[in-house]
Amino acid sequence: MELAKNLQTTINRSHGKTDLYVDLAQSISGVLLIGFLWMHMLFVATIVVSPELFNTLSEGLDKYYLAQVGIPATILLIIFHIFLALRRAPVRLRDMRITYRMAKMMNHYDTWVWVGQVVSALFVGVMASIHLWIILGAWPLRAATSAARVASSGPADVTWGAFTFPFFIVFYVIFLIAGEYHGGFGLYRILVKWGWWERHTMGWVLKGITVIIVCLGFAALYTFTQIAANLPAGGAIH
Amino acid sequence: MGRKLTISCFRYNPNIPGDKPRMQDYELEEYEGMTLFVALNDIREKLDPTLMFDFVCRAAICGSCAMLIHGRPRLACKTMTRTLPNKFTVMPLPVFKLIGDLSVDTGTWFRDLQVRAEAWIHTNKKFDFNALEVRMNNETAEKIYDPEQCIECGCCVANCITANIRPDFIGSTGINRVYRFLIDPRDERSDAEYYDVIGNEDGTFGCVGLMACDDMCPKEIPLQENLAYVRRKMAKAGLKLQFQGVKIS
Amino acid sequence: MSAKNTYISDVLVIGAGLAAERSAIECASAGLNVIILSLVPPRRSHSTAAQGGMQASLGNIAMGKGDSPEIHFADTVKGSDWGCDQEVAKMFCETVPSMIRQLDFWGVPWNRVTAGKKKYASGIETEDTKDKEGLITARDFGGVAKWRCCYTSDGTGHTVQFVVDTQVCKLGIPVHDRMEAIALIHDGETCFGAVARCLRTGELNVYLAKSTIIGTGGAGRIYAASTNAVINEGTGGGIALATGVVPLGNMEAIQFHPTGMPPVYILMTEGARGDGGYLLDKDMHRFMPDYEPKKKELASRDVVSRRMVQHIRAGHGVTSKYSTQQHLWLDIRHLGRQWVWKNLREIATIATNFNGIDPAKELVPVIPTQHYTMGGIRTNKDGAAYGLQGLFAMGEAACWDLHGFNRLGGNSLAETVTAGYICGKQVAKYTLGQTRNFNMKLVDGFVKKEEERIKNLISGKNGRENVYEIRDAMGTAMMDHVHIFRTGKSLEQGVAKLQELYKRSLKIGLRSSGQGANPELAQAIRMPGMVRTALCVAYGALTRTESRGSHFREDYPKRDDVNWLKRTLAYWKEGADLPTLEYEPVACPILPPGDRGYGEASAGPKGK
Ligand SMILES: Cc1cc2nc3c(=O)[nH]c(=O)nc-3n(C[C@H](O)[C@H](O)[C@H](O)COP(=O)(O)OP(=O)(O)OC[C@H]3O[C@@H](n4cnc5c(N)ncnc54)[C@H](O)[C@@H]3O)c2cc1C
Ligand code: HEM
Ligand code: HEM
Ligand code: SF4
Ligand code: F3S
Ligand code: FES
Repeated sequence: MELAKNLQTTINRSHGKTDLYVDLAQSISGVLLIGFLWMHMLFVATIVVSPELFNTLSEGLDKYYLAQVGIPATILLIIFHIFLALRRAPVRLRDMRITYRMAKMMNHYDTWVWVGQVVSALFVGVMASIHLWIILGAWPLRAATSAARVASSGPADVTWGAFTFPFFIVFYVIFLIAGEYHGGFGLYRILVKWGWWERHTMGWVLKGITVIIVCLGFAALYTFTQIAANLPAGGAIH
Repeated sequence: MGRKLTISCFRYNPNIPGDKPRMQDYELEEYEGMTLFVALNDIREKLDPTLMFDFVCRAAICGSCAMLIHGRPRLACKTMTRTLPNKFTVMPLPVFKLIGDLSVDTGTWFRDLQVRAEAWIHTNKKFDFNALEVRMNNETAEKIYDPEQCIECGCCVANCITANIRPDFIGSTGINRVYRFLIDPRDERSDAEYYDVIGNEDGTFGCVGLMACDDMCPKEIPLQENLAYVRRKMAKAGLKLQFQGVKIS
Repeated sequence: MSAKNTYISDVLVIGAGLAAERSAIECASAGLNVIILSLVPPRRSHSTAAQGGMQASLGNIAMGKGDSPEIHFADTVKGSDWGCDQEVAKMFCETVPSMIRQLDFWGVPWNRVTAGKKKYASGIETEDTKDKEGLITARDFGGVAKWRCCYTSDGTGHTVQFVVDTQVCKLGIPVHDRMEAIALIHDGETCFGAVARCLRTGELNVYLAKSTIIGTGGAGRIYAASTNAVINEGTGGGIALATGVVPLGNMEAIQFHPTGMPPVYILMTEGARGDGGYLLDKDMHRFMPDYEPKKKELASRDVVSRRMVQHIRAGHGVTSKYSTQQHLWLDIRHLGRQWVWKNLREIATIATNFNGIDPAKELVPVIPTQHYTMGGIRTNKDGAAYGLQGLFAMGEAACWDLHGFNRLGGNSLAETVTAGYICGKQVAKYTLGQTRNFNMKLVDGFVKKEEERIKNLISGKNGRENVYEIRDAMGTAMMDHVHIFRTGKSLEQGVAKLQELYKRSLKIGLRSSGQGANPELAQAIRMPGMVRTALCVAYGALTRTESRGSHFREDYPKRDDVNWLKRTLAYWKEGADLPTLEYEPVACPILPPGDRGYGEASAGPKGK
């Protein structure tokens, strides 16, 4: 009897394509987002070369309306992605408990990576909203404004031994790592699922790319702080 | 003199009213070449005759003895105790219904899977007792044997978080089973027919790509490759159905 | 407590191995209502463990060219040492090729012939032509004139069992797994089904049917060391014997495989020797050529096994950490790492997994080990058991008598599906002619009796004997007295020990509470039947004062066709502590007794 019931559910699904589209859409949204993120990091990293290049690019994007179209599209894409990806995340308390217990017991690398992805998603979700809110609230984007923002204090600065870090530096470092981790391994799993490459080699390649991008990010953040230190007191923003 | 082993066993017999799940420690002396098959039988025969577990072939061929050993799903018969610390745990596989102690009901689960996946050769031909066999390439035969080697131990189901949180997911073994028929030229099913069977969230599109299955299959079946093949094939089949104008249900 | 559920069907199939499932398919295809019982899910049956292959005279590969059912027949009869039923063997050899093709039709990925010149490890060079390409190929096996062992890489039994099970699934035949038949229901003339104990809950169920098929596999576990699965405890034969009217045939015919790997005696297939592996003793001396200059390590199984034990007895055995007994070494190091890990992969993995040995650079311990029971529930050529109407038996559990006193490697998997087909058809025919008629009082009587037994085991009413002690003592007695070399004196001691154990087995009391699916209780229920089976082996061997096939009497080393061209039938009468032996003649209508043409003539206990 049990068998028949399940057969019935199978039959009821006849030719249903929702599941396929949702799965495809999730993978595509993932690829687009990681594509966006990596482009975005390269753009921001132009600051390392020179503030002028950064400004030129930014102006260019505004001039040809790429920013005006791209930003809302990205925001929509993120919402879309969250909506799709949450299907797979352990959202019920029971599922979270099973997930945590199993991951801990098996101690399996890829499984932990996925758990990490789910957790980092929370950070990315919250931080991306703040990030977008601030950026869009202080249009347009210029090297000087960005630098001031990166180096500015927020709700609380972080003191670690003899050093004090402005809130937003800490914010961006966490954001950078969480975002890259979430996206990089996300891409890894998309490729694993569709399976064009052997996963272990592919994993190392992606880790390599991620590390490079994170380094670029750090370099950019460092450059921003250097620029901020040379800005006239009372900076141009807020 | 061997080490002294402490095996911490999950104990629970649902057939005894009032019995509660608990961990129970057994101590025994290890000897050269000891496998968990030997160790658990020693416990049952010398220390505790009530302990339930399953072994059949004790040679890693039948898939009966999968359990969580020191946290990971493995075949107990081919796990040598010397690869384990002095104290370790053994627990029944998750996902499957518990029969008692270390014994779980993989039989019903896999039977259900065979029926859902319609895992048999579908053909309109009739067997002719007097005809020669239909020719086949030896490579094709070997390619079919590859996924066919699955012993239905359930390790890949137990260690997949998706299968743990979604009871209807057919698991890696299920998708691999369909793959076996998909590449068999004797099965006359069209891609669309396969699509109806596993082109859904309980089938191929339910897999998140956690790869615990691929890493822990005791038969070392290349599950990543096989799963990805099915996913691509089914995505293609679904899109084709769309373009042929079959309605979304 | 009484029977929890009663199931009624046309055909009850006890067992879900290859023989059982194949016969179930035949019955279900005839429109009958079939239920299958099994200790374990079908795909865990021991048939899946067979790696080697299945004999069928397809004659596709060059080395099998010109093969025919007649040649297969001659090999089978010689192999059996003229102990088999030649009519059955003939029918079998003629049917098995279409069975292989039907399995192919159902989906078995048989390895195929590839065209081109080939050189085998043994030095043979052949060429396969284009016209055979893509047809089912075959490999060599001991004791055959032609290569005819069809295979799928290293998993023949696995693929065949899985594919046969897909057909059972497709036909929707219900399988009640973890359901152990513990007694047949009968009135001394007709069998009506069985009482079964659920191994999930411990409850008793009743299965009633017009026909009952027993396909429960081998009884290897009556020996302490066996290549068989731990569930091969001969329970099918045990419950048939317990009826008092159904005999076991030729139980003394036990096959030993030369290369079981201690400490758990996993089988190392013949492939290791076929590819050129040696057997070495404690001085690293390759001894087989001393005994068998022609065939060396590749003489037939019974011959190699005897030589190995003989050599150990002569003081050349190895004492090592791997085993409490002395053993010998299997050496495949000279084949090279690549060969070992590619062509002998299953041997390499087993050695690595179970002993941490890499056979490409280390020696593997081996010892002759119990492997196959040629004997079993005696049936006629339709598979109908002697003694009870409506009872049938097939596969290793049966003595259809295809194997006589020595089974040819690769003939038993082939037997399971062929018997399942041929006899399954006969079961269907018989069943269609029957009407349902069950005497519920009789049924209740059987249930009560089993309940009573279980109650007494739990309460310890009859005694407090420890079931595992008895099992171990039985296994040891069989190893010590009823092994490869047998003598009157030792067999007498063995029989006496087993009789003693039989009495103790009737006084078993559990140490646990026996609640639910208690494993100690399951063992205790089987125990008397197992000791009875062991006694049939030992007593039959004691009485048979000749050597034939794998039955080797040191005190009677020659085959004796004048007195012993007959089949042993062992009955167990109520209250007895020994089987009653009867004999029936073995006819040789097609191939009269002659020389086997290998090993035998030189096989004396002291070598040359
Ligand atoms: C290691 C090994 C390798 C082998 N290799 C080969 C080979 O290469 N070629 C070859 O031809 N032969 C080989 N053989 C022999 C061959 O595998 C067996 O003889 C054959 O598979 C037996 O099949 P069967 O259907 O009779 O029984 P099995 O496959 O043993 O099935 C028995 C079934 O009966 C069930 N059962 C038992 N008792 C009960 C009960 N009381 N109630 C309910 N169910 C019960 C079990 O659950 C099981 O499903 C090999 C044997 C071994 C041990
Ligand atoms: C609020 C923000 C976000 C949330 C809540 C979120 C959540 C998730 C979750 C839960 C998954 C796992 C889904 C699965 O296992 O199938 C996932 C996958 C993924 N995420 Fe995000 N994510 C967010 C933002 C982003 C961003 C900004 C990117 C781009 C850089 C991104 C890239 C990916 C990728 C590539 C995957 C893999 C997709 C797949 O497996 O199909 N995510 N996300
Ligand atoms: C689409 C709208 C976006 C715009 C216009 C934008 C713009 C910028 C700019 C200008 C900076 C430089 C620092 C600053 O000015 O504060 C920056 C930094 C950063 N952004 Fe965005 N961003 C966008 C979306 C996102 C999203 C969705 C993510 C998350 C995944 C993200 C992650 C980051 C990170 C991690 C940094 C720090 C850079 C570094 O380490 O060098 N951004 N972004
Ligand atoms: S795929 Fe591997 S892990 Fe999964 S059931 Fe089969 S053999 Fe076991
Ligand atoms: S672990 Fe599970 S999610 Fe997919 S890749 Fe394996 S089935
Ligand atoms: S007992 Fe068969 S796989 Fe372990």
